[in-house]
Amino acid sequence: MFELYANALVNGILLGGVFALLAFGMNLIFGVVKIIHLAYGQCVMLGMYLVYTLVVQLKIPIILACLISLPVMGIVGVVLQWLVINPLLKAKANPLTQLLALAGLTIVVENLAQVTWGADLRGLNIQLPLISVGDIYLRTSNLIAFLGALITLGGLYLFLNRTYLGLAIRSIAQDVDSARLMGINPEKIYYITMAVGGLLTGLIAAFFSPIYAVHPHFGGSFTMMAFIIVVLGGIGNLLGGFIGAFVIGIVTSVSAVLTSTEIADIITLVIFIAVILVRPQGLLGIRISR
Amino acid sequence: MRSGLILIVIFAAVIAFPHLLPSPYLIHIGTLIFIWSFITTSWSYMGRFGLVSLGHGAFLGVGAYTSGLLFNAFGLSPWIGMLLGGLAAVILAIIIGYGCFRFGVIGDYFALLTLALGEVVALTIIAFRDITGGSLGFTLKSKGTSFWYFQSEEKIHFYYASLAFLILALLIWKWIDRSKMQKALRAIGEDEIAASTLGVPIIRYKMVITMISAFMTAVGAVLYAQYITYLNPHTLSGVAPSLEIAFKAILGGMFSLWGPTIGTALTVSLEEYFRVVYGGTFVGFSQIIYGLALVLLIIFLPKGIYGSLEAFFKRTKDH
Amino acid sequence: MLEVKNIDVFYGEFQALFDVSLKISEGETVITVGPNGAGKSTLLKTISGLLRPRSGSITFFGQRIDGLPAHKIVELGIAHVPEGGRLFPQLTVWENLKVGSYLKKSRQDFPLAVKEIYQLFPVLDERKRQLADTLSGGERQMLAIARCLMSKPKLILLDEPSSGLAPRVVSRVFEFVHQIKSQGYAILMVEQNVRKALQLSDRAYLMESGRMVKEGPKQSFLEDPYIKKVYIGL
Repeated sequence: MFELYANALVNGILLGGVFALLAFGMNLIFGVVKIIHLAYGQCVMLGMYLVYTLVVQLKIPIILACLISLPVMGIVGVVLQWLVINPLLKAKANPLTQLLALAGLTIVVENLAQVTWGADLRGLNIQLPLISVGDIYLRTSNLIAFLGALITLGGLYLFLNRTYLGLAIRSIAQDVDSARLMGINPEKIYYITMAVGGLLTGLIAAFFSPIYAVHPHFGGSFTMMAFIIVVLGGIGNLLGGFIGAFVIGIVTSVSAVLTSTEIADIITLVIFIAVILVRPQGLLGIRISR
Repeated sequence: MRSGLILIVIFAAVIAFPHLLPSPYLIHIGTLIFIWSFITTSWSYMGRFGLVSLGHGAFLGVGAYTSGLLFNAFGLSPWIGMLLGGLAAVILAIIIGYGCFRFGVIGDYFALLTLALGEVVALTIIAFRDITGGSLGFTLKSKGTSFWYFQSEEKIHFYYASLAFLILALLIWKWIDRSKMQKALRAIGEDEIAASTLGVPIIRYKMVITMISAFMTAVGAVLYAQYITYLNPHTLSGVAPSLEIAFKAILGGMFSLWGPTIGTALTVSLEEYFRVVYGGTFVGFSQIIYGLALVLLIIFLPKGIYGSLEAFFKRTKDH
Repeated sequence: MLEVKNIDVFYGEFQALFDVSLKISEGETVITVGPNGAGKSTLLKTISGLLRPRSGSITFFGQRIDGLPAHKIVELGIAHVPEGGRLFPQLTVWENLKVGSYLKKSRQDFPLAVKEIYQLFPVLDERKRQLADTLSGGERQMLAIARCLMSKPKLILLDEPSSGLAPRVVSRVFEFVHQIKSQGYAILMVEQNVRKALQLSDRAYLMESGRMVKEGPKQSFLEDPYIKKVYIGL
């Protein structure tokens, strides 16, 4: 019995690593562009469909397919910025309008997926070996995802803190006008942020492809998950998102074993509702006046 | 006076329509438009005052499943089921509404919270699949054509019944418009803090309007379930129908009486058009266009189609 | 080097500047004084590109800059220190200085420039790893001005450097400005502390209710009875 929970715990932690990437992407975009990217999970889904198409239909080796998906999704991020977010920013839409516009986008993307790839599950069907540590079985796919995520997060941390561009991004997040006076072009930063966000969705898609089979509603549950993590950790708070990711990863994993996957989802949603009600700035967040 | 005349003409046309053009398909479309306009109008009772809910699917689900399950299990008349379903929705509204309003959750946080709520109801329905039939839904037992059991083998009965419901929803809209509540809610919508210092009982008014909206939405769900005689958690709860309701209302203009109806009529027609023309080959294609149109509309016409037209005509009239 | 000609600036439908004109030559220190709400900050924001004039023109070394985005104007050599400094609160002292050198041409010189600033202000060196919003008012103003120097500007716009500061601190700030002036930078300073500002200046303008009301060399302002009564309080 203990092994069951221990396994769930460990695999939850592993998954938490990838969720942390998801949360990072959303927090970065929110912090810089100041928009809640409701369609982020759907972008991951697109990335997964891309990998699927490359591997299964075009017979491209998996690693290459994953590498290709990165810049492609980065471009998707840029296109989104250009076609959807820029107009929203220029129209000075209020947060609700932004939410609705992005919700509309999720409908578009999900149905695009359904039209192009059909409604059934599309999986890579690869079996990676299990590694056993004592009585605990680690799936290699989860382990790769976890390590990859940590490395990426480390790289992103260095990028944000040690480079001029990273500094520019952090400045725009804090005071756009002041940043302008330093010679920083806000639009260029928005595009770069969305590109990085997009790249991340490609990376997450690459990590998820060996683990999950994708279907048109896959994006929805991940957006919800990312949302819950981000709210839990405090919207815009990168560290909070990191911690929140592991918390939710573990909670989901363990609840699924305790009860069932659906009840696990219900539990996470209820946590989400509770956090919004009681502490909308998240457990670690700074209060943002809305 | 002119607008009243136009209204009477349209009304007469709508009533006479099934007899002039007895196409079961068109009558079906008409009925769908009436039912969803009813639901969308009920949504906009809250929406117009800044309480934009993205989780009305929760009320749909609670209403329809309460009534439907009681009907299948105990043969309870859907008319009573409607009241019970409405009541269940109201209870849910009270719990969530009180939580939100008491803790000052407004605007987009409110929207997100309701979004989660809609999903919770959907997932709960699916989780209790032994009772509800889960993702596959369940069918209502057939009782032939019966007023008491709110079923009919003639589509035309539902056409007129849902028209009557829609008129009721519109009348309630007008009633809210004239009431003291409207002024209070408008004030709350514009500046909540100012309103509260003036002594406006904010929580009470917000609760009332939420309860009315929840009740009516649940009733609409029962109406729909009785018409289709089939319940499914993906059409009657969760994120998808919640967003669709909000979109239809905003598209048409949630601040005006006819806005939600026009928005619904447009989207239903559009969806049907795409399904008929592209149907088999492009399942979901219609939704893409629909989603795209909505995104564009939200960005460029924040008042919705009807609302913008209304504002436009008002401006030209003033000149 | 900088010529502002007859600009009108609006906030939405509200007009803040009416037909305002101004000139600065290289190496000059010019101050603009006037009451609160006269439009002095608006003037600086329009020059630095945060705002756009609805009519009129602004030229810098002969090139039209009105209508250019702010980040391009910085590149041309105009640095703006907004009121209160507007430092990045969640960045450290060092990082704030570093952002100041964001322009490609300034990056190489940053290590050297930073050392110079630390020599001038050991306080900033002590606090270099501290977040900017933990600094005192005076320290913040110093940091803000130091930061703008990182971009190697030709013209510096200072918006009320003394605002909110204690008199002793104000003196130190003005000392700093004086040092900058003697290094040859052109300075356009907007100030409410007229007496101290006039001492630093070469020429002055008076703005009231969005209009340029008076212009003249420092002496004429110091001797003008109206200025003396209303703004210097003698």
